[in-house]
Amino acid sequence: MSMADTLSSSSPARQKSIVEAHGISKQFGDLEVLTNIDFSLAPSEVVCVIGPSGSGKSTLLRCLAFLEPYDHGSVYIDGQLLGFEDRSGKRVRTSEKRVDEVRAPVGMVFQHFHLWPHRTALENVTEALRLVNGLSRREADTEGMAMLEQVGLADRAGHFPESLSGGQKQRVAIARALAMKPRVMFFDEPTSALDPELVGEVLDVMKKLAADGMTMVIVTHEMGFAAKVADRVIFMDQGRVVESGPPATLFRQPKSERLQQFLNTWRERHID
Amino acid sequence: MFDITLLWEVRGLILQGFWNTLWICFTGCLLALSLGLVLAALRLANPRLFSYPVACYVELCRGTPLLILLFLLYYGGPSIGLTLSASVAGVVGLGFYGAGYFAEIYRGGFKSIPKGQLEAARMLGISRWHALTRIQIPQMARLIVPPGTNQLIILVKESALISIISVDDLTKNATTIVNQTFQVIEPYLAVALLYWLMIELIARGGYALEKRLANRQPRPAAQQGATPHVHG
Repeated sequence: MSMADTLSSSSPARQKSIVEAHGISKQFGDLEVLTNIDFSLAPSEVVCVIGPSGSGKSTLLRCLAFLEPYDHGSVYIDGQLLGFEDRSGKRVRTSEKRVDEVRAPVGMVFQHFHLWPHRTALENVTEALRLVNGLSRREADTEGMAMLEQVGLADRAGHFPESLSGGQKQRVAIARALAMKPRVMFFDEPTSALDPELVGEVLDVMKKLAADGMTMVIVTHEMGFAAKVADRVIFMDQGRVVESGPPATLFRQPKSERLQQFLNTWRERHID
Repeated sequence: MFDITLLWEVRGLILQGFWNTLWICFTGCLLALSLGLVLAALRLANPRLFSYPVACYVELCRGTPLLILLFLLYYGGPSIGLTLSASVAGVVGLGFYGAGYFAEIYRGGFKSIPKGQLEAARMLGISRWHALTRIQIPQMARLIVPPGTNQLIILVKESALISIISVDDLTKNATTIVNQTFQVIEPYLAVALLYWLMIELIARGGYALEKRLANRQPRPAAQQGATPHVHG
């Protein structure tokens, strides 16, 4: 791919994918955490990213969302280059405002929820509706309640995050992201910080989203969930994509030794 | 023998000193609070550019006595073309000195907000300004009020040093009264009482603010209406 192609701010050829990444790499100091990753995400596709801890799964998602600026390569959201632009042949960072514009179709849910503790569940959901979308308090409250209803938490609207369980917090975080009407949802290990008993309620919400046709990228350790919900599973190790494909193929007939090893370890731990 | 009539006779001088201490402390503290916020915000907004200069400033404030800063401003200023009246030198000295401490208090407050909360805001398209005013400041305010109140109290007490650069504040006027009347206990006790009043006022204001902010923070769910009224 030519430099100009890599840096072009938009490309009609890329419109088919909502999210597309070409050759992205990321280093933290001397440690290369992502190496030359290509990625694409079609509308309504659900992609699960699996792999051992430290394999670069979360960094990949954060680079796709530009929460971590990638060092090389390019990420396109809806055909628009995210985070950089070409100025006289030089790659330069765009303004935060431009990042916000390009990233607007993406919603994100984090492992540790990151709810704002001084706001109630409803206020967490309505804050961006009011500040970003300019809705009145009344409109935002109505919209926010509908979102909380969708994740089964309308009766917790007036509660502060500290009085909610982990599963409830994560569902509020999902409602908060959904309120902005994203076309793609990124989930960064959404159940990893939850007690095993609370994982189900979050996965149920995500399954429902997938069934409704939401495009999703999910970094997860929940293999059962990935097998049932994903259209495609990507296995990462040491910052590289080792294998990817439909879950049935990937889980039943892993080609690489590393994936076989990973799945065996997982089975030993979970199937006793 | 404690002579209360003496205080009545010198009330003019004491009140004048009290007024000077009041306005110099008020203005100096306001300058310290504002400049401290600017320094902390600069350091957080662009660490690469501002972290080192702001850290140097903070270390300079913490590492040198206020009195030396006042001497430099008032007596050393004219030699570099900076001529300030004693009162203005007092305000500037208190403000610049206090700003170093307040910058650290604010920085601690900002740092206490988990980065993830701001990332969540960024992913929702919330601007940095709104993240600052709606997410960071409301949460950090409660944390910085106790150390901030403490620092204001220290500044007010240290303001007595401006008497040495000839500001007619409470301390200097009390000393003048002592020199004129040879009575030591009455003027200094009166001055101590007035300082105590000012500091008590700041302390109570701090407690009230702390309580007010605490009331806006999460309460147990049982104490709240479970579901707020939703219009429409």
